[in-house]
Amino acid sequence: MLEINNLHAEIAGNAILKGLSLTVNAGEVHAIMGPNGAGKSTLGYVLGGRPGYEVTEGSVSFDGADLLELEPHERAAAGLFLGFQYPVEIPGISNVQFLRESLNAQRKGRGEAPLSGAEFLKLARAQADALGMDHDMLKRPVNVGFSGGEKKRNEMVQMGILSPRLAILDETDSGLDIDALRTVGDGINRILRAPDKAVILITHYQRLLEYVRPDFVHVLADGRITRTGGPELALELEAQGYGALAA
Amino acid sequence: MSITLPTRRDEAWRWADLDTLSAARTTPRAEIGDAADHFLDLDGPRLVFVDGAFDAARSDPRRVRVQAIAAETAHPLGMHAAGTGWSLDLDASEAETCIQIAHLGSGGESHVPATLTLGRDAVASVVESYAGSGWANRLTRIRLAEGARLMRSVRLVQSAGFVSLREEAEIGQAASLVSIFLGAGGMGSRIDGELVVTGDGGFAEMGGALLTRGEQRQECAVAVRHAALDGSSMQLWRAVAADRSAASLAARVEVARGAQKTDGEQSLRGLLLDRTATVNLKPELEIFADDVKCAHGATVGELDRAAMFYLQSRGLPEGVAKALLTRAFVADAIDRIGEEPVRAAFLADAEAWLAEALA
Repeated sequence: MLEINNLHAEIAGNAILKGLSLTVNAGEVHAIMGPNGAGKSTLGYVLGGRPGYEVTEGSVSFDGADLLELEPHERAAAGLFLGFQYPVEIPGISNVQFLRESLNAQRKGRGEAPLSGAEFLKLARAQADALGMDHDMLKRPVNVGFSGGEKKRNEMVQMGILSPRLAILDETDSGLDIDALRTVGDGINRILRAPDKAVILITHYQRLLEYVRPDFVHVLADGRITRTGGPELALELEAQGYGALAA
Repeated sequence: MSITLPTRRDEAWRWADLDTLSAARTTPRAEIGDAADHFLDLDGPRLVFVDGAFDAARSDPRRVRVQAIAAETAHPLGMHAAGTGWSLDLDASEAETCIQIAHLGSGGESHVPATLTLGRDAVASVVESYAGSGWANRLTRIRLAEGARLMRSVRLVQSAGFVSLREEAEIGQAASLVSIFLGAGGMGSRIDGELVVTGDGGFAEMGGALLTRGEQRQECAVAVRHAALDGSSMQLWRAVAADRSAASLAARVEVARGAQKTDGEQSLRGLLLDRTATVNLKPELEIFADDVKCAHGATVGELDRAAMFYLQSRGLPEGVAKALLTRAFVADAIDRIGEEPVRAAFLADAEAWLAEALA
């Protein structure tokens, strides 16, 4: 599904990713762990197409297409979802309006008919219910006045509505209490645990992985993947720290 | 008519597009559209002015009177708006809402005065639309008695030419005036206001959104003067400028000696859609009382890049993401309009402007 090959990327001339390679197949869950500053968030932004993140070498193919050639909105329409570590507050635009326009823009990109207001609302409410988010929050401006945990929950509601094929979730577990962590974990499994879908979980901690069992755990250090293993690697990291394992 | 225009050497007129104003005076007459296009589907008095002349056949003024009005002002443009105009006089506790006035210009210049006098606890609302071309020059004088409430919504959607509006208001005890302006056409404009809160506990608001593109220039120059106790005021203006256009916002709050407990709020924000565009902001506070609260903010910037990427990452093309964020920026000002259908119509005008500007 996703094939990252020798990816090098920089921000304002500073090299962050230095030859990262990773293959993600449909049906798999990958966890990427690593110390601060290793390039975890940069990987998410590069895959999402954020301006200012310049790829200097390497390639990324998504379902056989050159992902790096696509505009951010085209990547979304192709089935990529980026869960933000810090979801952005957007005053003056309601969640419902934003998500309906987003979903219909994606559907248009795929040559599908737009959803009506009523159809969309039904879908949005079902996703909000599944993630324990109050319906009133759908009407509120995007993330404005939401707590850290509410923002992360809102990311998952968005993901449920947009139903991507590949999600890259950047520290979706940070800012969540134990109950919210379980709800979000269940949401990820429900939305993305399917033979034709895949997830990349970027995280610092092992705790989300108790709810979303990864097939592979990778250690990202200094811009490249230095070690790959199964779920046991996450436990090892938790016990020993990155210092011992990253090198 | 012989008119001596102000010059840009005068500080109060330094951002004014007087060249466009002058040129608009002599534009040849052209076809004007249908007045009905500029009326919302609301029951209330309707007045049509074509090139400043009252069009009785297409109007239903009800209790709004059309009569000769003197232009009693020292304002250099407003002073020329004398002659036949419209006036509304309400006695105590009377109400006249959803008054709609369409000003259609076919070219050349037009000058129309207006007076709104509301008795104690009277209520009125007025929606005005400027369409067509030429120079439309207006003077509106407002007097609100104790407890009176007036909501004014004014949209400038002329395709070309210039609109100059001068608004002078006296706001009595516990009375409220809210005037919201939207400049979303192709014309140049100057919106000039002087609101004086003369009674204790009065409320004065003047604000809106100016949207400019091409070589267009629009501006507001507004002063709210607090001359009584416990008054409050709001000046919330948003400017969006694209291409090589310029939008200018000058807003002043004056608190007279003895006008204690005044609460004045001022928010001026500009959004540049292109690096070649200009937004000028001039917030001013002049306070001669010691127990007052005057919050003010003035910022100019571009669209937030983090927000742009967030919207794009969910599937919105760049142009749509820009339009959504810009609409939200403008809606801050339009949301101040109290009447839902009017607010919706003004937002639709702003959206139509955005769709063209971002195309």
